[in-house]
Order: sequence, then C-alpha cells, then structure tokens
Amino acid sequence: MRLSPDKFNELELRAYQIRRLSVEMIAFGMWGHIGGSLSMAELLAVLYFHQLHIDPQNPQWAERDRLVLSKAHGSPALYAALALRGYFPIDDLYTYCDLHGLEGHTDMTKTVGLETSGGPLGMGLSVAVGMALGLRRHEHAATRVYCILGDGETNEGNVWEAAMAAAHYHLDNLIAIVDYNKVMAKGFTWDLMSIEPFVEKWRAFGWDVVEVDGHDLEAINHALHQARWVLPRGKPLVLIAHTVKGMGIHEAEFNYKWHTHAPDAKTADRFLRELARRYGKPEEGFSRMQASIEKESFYAGE
Amino acid sequence: MPASNHGGSTLPEMRDAFGKTLVELGRDHLNMIVLDADLHTSSKAGMFKKAYPDRFIQVGIAEQNLFGIAAGLALTGFIPFPSTFAVFATRRALDQIAISIAYPRLNVKIPGSYVGIPTSRAGASHNCIEDLAVMRVLPNMYVADAGDNNDLAAIMRAAVEHEGPVYFRITRYTLPEIFPANHQFKWGKGERLRTGSDVTLFGTGMMTAQCLEAADLLQADNISAEVVHLASIKPIDRQLIVESVMHTGCAVTAENASINGGFGAAVAEVLGEEYPAPLRRIGVRDRWVDSGGINDLLTEHGMQPSDIALAAKAVLQRREQRVIR
Repeated sequence: MRLSPDKFNELELRAYQIRRLSVEMIAFGMWGHIGGSLSMAELLAVLYFHQLHIDPQNPQWAERDRLVLSKAHGSPALYAALALRGYFPIDDLYTYCDLHGLEGHTDMTKTVGLETSGGPLGMGLSVAVGMALGLRRHEHAATRVYCILGDGETNEGNVWEAAMAAAHYHLDNLIAIVDYNKVMAKGFTWDLMSIEPFVEKWRAFGWDVVEVDGHDLEAINHALHQARWVLPRGKPLVLIAHTVKGMGIHEAEFNYKWHTHAPDAKTADRFLRELARRYGKPEEGFSRMQASIEKESFYAGE
Repeated sequence: MPASNHGGSTLPEMRDAFGKTLVELGRDHLNMIVLDADLHTSSKAGMFKKAYPDRFIQVGIAEQNLFGIAAGLALTGFIPFPSTFAVFATRRALDQIAISIAYPRLNVKIPGSYVGIPTSRAGASHNCIEDLAVMRVLPNMYVADAGDNNDLAAIMRAAVEHEGPVYFRITRYTLPEIFPANHQFKWGKGERLRTGSDVTLFGTGMMTAQCLEAADLLQADNISAEVVHLASIKPIDRQLIVESVMHTGCAVTAENASINGGFGAAVAEVLGEEYPAPLRRIGVRDRWVDSGGINDLLTEHGMQPSDIALAAKAVLQRREQRVIR
C-alpha cells in the first residue's frame, strides 16, 4: 500500500516537526538525547500519523495499539509526536525536564499517551511481550503492540529473554522496531559491542525480520503495513530500521558526542535553521531564544 | 528439643498454603494470572497451574523477563503474580521490578519464595536476606511477611484488594498457627498478640512465633514481654510501635532477614524519629547465610527464642540504666 501524495506530504511534515520540537525541548529543557530522537522521527511520524490505531480523545480505549518506547531516552521525539497528535498541548513540551513537567525519560503516570514508564535499557520488549499476551487473552485480534528499541540496547540480555518468549508464544501481534543508528552513548556499536550479524540473531530467535531505510517514509510504511496485515503468521516481527543518529543536523549526525548533550540557545537556533534548510522549509530559528537564555543564566552552575 | 524446630508439625508448610490460596483467589478473580520461571513445583505455584492451566504462564529461567511480562499483563488489565525465589526476584530483577512495575505503580503481586534461613540447605546464593531492605525502599511498593499460614492467606487477599504493587514473602517452613482461619490483615496495621509491661518484642514473618516463645522464656524470669506482630512492613504501623514502646520503654525486633535496612531498621526509623528507646535487632547480622540445618542456622545467627530473650534483657538493663541516670 503506497502512501497517497497528501499523506506522504503530511508524514514528511510531521517528521520535520518532530525533529524541530525535539531540538526545541531539549534546548529549553537543558537536557536530553538529540541523536536518538532525530534518528526515529520518520518512524514515529509513520506510526503516530498513519499506522497506529489510537484515539487521543480516548487514550484508554481498550483495543488501541500500544507503543512501548524501550529506548526511553528518545522521549523528546515521542513527546513531540504525542503533542502533535493531540494528546496534550504543544506548549507542554517546554516543561521537559522541569519539576512537575514532562519527565526526562518516560513516566506513564505523568503524561497521557505514554503506555509505559522507562529509562533503563533492555526492559521494554518484555513489557511489550506481556501486553501482547494480555491483548491476545482479551481477543483483541486487530490490536498490535509496537516496541521501539535502540541498537545498543540490544546488548542487554533482557532483550533476548523477551525475544525468546515472544517466539515461544507465537506473538504475531507484536512488532519490534530497532532504531539501528549505529551509534551508542560513547562510540560506534562495532567498537563498543558488536551486534552483527543482527538479522541472523533475530531469525535465530524465531522472528521474522524486515530491514528498511529508517528515513524512507514509503519503505517504513510498506514494512509496517506488511507487518500488521500480511505477515502475521505465528511469529513476532522485527523491523530493523537503518537510521542516522542525529539525522538532519550535520554536526550531530553519526556523532556520539551528541548522544546526550543539550545545545545552548544559540546552538539550538543554528541547528533549527539548518533543519529548515535541509528539509526545504522557510528558515526559522529557536522559538524560545530569549526565554532560553534567561533560563540558562538562572540555572547556571547546576 | 529446640523450640523452633517444627519438624513434627501436622500443619501444612507455608508454601502449600500459598498454592492453596492462589487457587482460592483465582476462583474469584478471573483476571488473575500466575507466572513462573521454572520453579512452580518448589514454590507451589504449580497448584494454580493445575487448577487453571490457561491462566498460568511459564517464562523459563528468565527472571528479568518474568517481571517485564508481568508489567505488560498488568497494563492490559490482569492481576499478575510473577512467582520465583525471592533472591531471583529482588536481586536479579530489581531494576525491572523498580522501573517497569513500582515506578508506574502497576497492579503486580510479587510472591518471594524461599526467604531467609529455611531454604533447604541451598546455601548463601539462595538464602534471601536483603529482600525486605530492597523492596521497602521502592516508592509505591507494599511489603509484607506473614506470621503463619492464615496470615499469609489474609495478606494475599489484601494484596489483591490493594490496587498497586505488593511484595510478600513465603517462608519454606511449617510455622505454628497463631491466627484463626478467618484472620483479617490490614495494610499498615500490626497486631498486639500478647500484652506486657517490661519490653516489646516486635516480630515479623516466621520470627513472630520465636518472639512468642521468647516471651514465655522471659515470663519464667518474671519479665513481662509484649509481643507485637507487624506483618505489614510497609506501610508500617507507626502508631502501634510508638504506643507499645511508650508503655514498655524498650524493644527488640526479630526478622528472618538481614537487620540492615530490613524490618528492624524500619522499626528503628520510627522509634528514632518518634520515641527513641533502647532497641536491639535480631536477624542476620551482615553475613551470608551458608548451607546448614535450619535449626543450626538459627542458632548460628543468634535467631533462637533464647537469643531474643537475651536481647530483651539487655535492652531492659539499658532502660533501667537510663532511668537511674
């Protein structure tokens, strides 16, 4: 199923907005993970604006699809997607990492639209397996559970415990998505801990595997459509999305130094202008430039 | 005969009471699911499997996954009981219990089997002495240690009625009966089992029975010991602790766990803040619990009724010295 031109344009815009808002909230929140937020902008755009069966007006709808962000440090991109989808006001994004604001990682008790709480890597796929088992018991046959993992996260043994269980229980209502951006907190995957041969690992654990360019909206959508409607045949499916860490900002791309690093207001402004140029949008800087400078000086030294 | 050796008892072991209560609760609560990590015949969670095979999930030897799956089931409306030995739950899977379950306050009931001293000679790797401390420190988590089989059944009923995460212990042992079959347990409420005026013995779990025996020993020396059972370790009955010690002036705590950060520490925190008084804690004292006979180990770790009685005399003496000064 190809995307209609209108849908394609919408998803492209959403991915762009997710990128922009991620940079804005990390800069204004003075903390966060730019690289791993920008790498999954297209994935979240396709999920939240086309693939997920969700209703922001009825966030507890029993038969909704669930998305578990196992790489919970990618929270800025997820918060941006949720706000854009109408779960809460865009303005709330500017409370990121402030006391009583949006939590640095994910806290489902604080923020509507989040399905889990997280932070420590390696845990989310198990929770997704539990959800998939639970939904199958409820006979919600059309409901799917999606779980986004980081590539470095698959160093964690818990991931493979969950992978084994998902295959054992034939969870074809579970779709894992690996944001394979090749860069971990302190270096490249192949330097820190090799995960290849990655496809073979998942296959050996009993999963169907699909590889895509994780910035190609059409490819992502095609794969997710297949995963949802064509491939369910008694096996869980993993979508290995080849992405670029920090995609959209040259300095952050493929660069572990921008894994956890909040840009100051001026750098954020430069990044946002670069994003606009890269995605062919009217040049626009940091929307909270002045407030951000004031906030930086208020919290200076912390 | 050592007072704590209940080998001749005709009562069921506590783990049998656990299995039986799981089955009873499962009859009324159709959304209850028991999960296991390859230990269900030891823990007796297998009784639930036999009764409701379709509501039993085997995850293999993978405790981190056990608790993650439990979280996912809770998020889809079930009441999961992820069952394993206490060491594997609270050590191996602590992060999963903390962040996937306690942090979002999910409705998961965690039975910790094989706690403290009686684990059938398995040794230090399997004798769980730190669970009370690590579970107690997690926000949102409720913690309980049953004094007998009827107490355990009551705790399990209260666990299901409470919306939120619960950790409760199952001692692999046969305890003397303290409570009636229709016993009611309330979170944050202790029970004064015996009134006394000289010293309070605060017990939890299997050590409450030891406290009752210690009170008999003390009685023989004309010392009047009050015995308070605090199965609910978190929340803890602050009012009863203070009320009792205001009356007796000194206290001994007894737990089948490490005294570091566990039950004795919880009582000490309350007394330290509200009513400082001479206090001694009975339990494992910063040591690993090696293989051995149960009674031998209780002696080795100074956890016999006679040890409790000695500690009671020591705090009483300190109380008297204070009065003289």
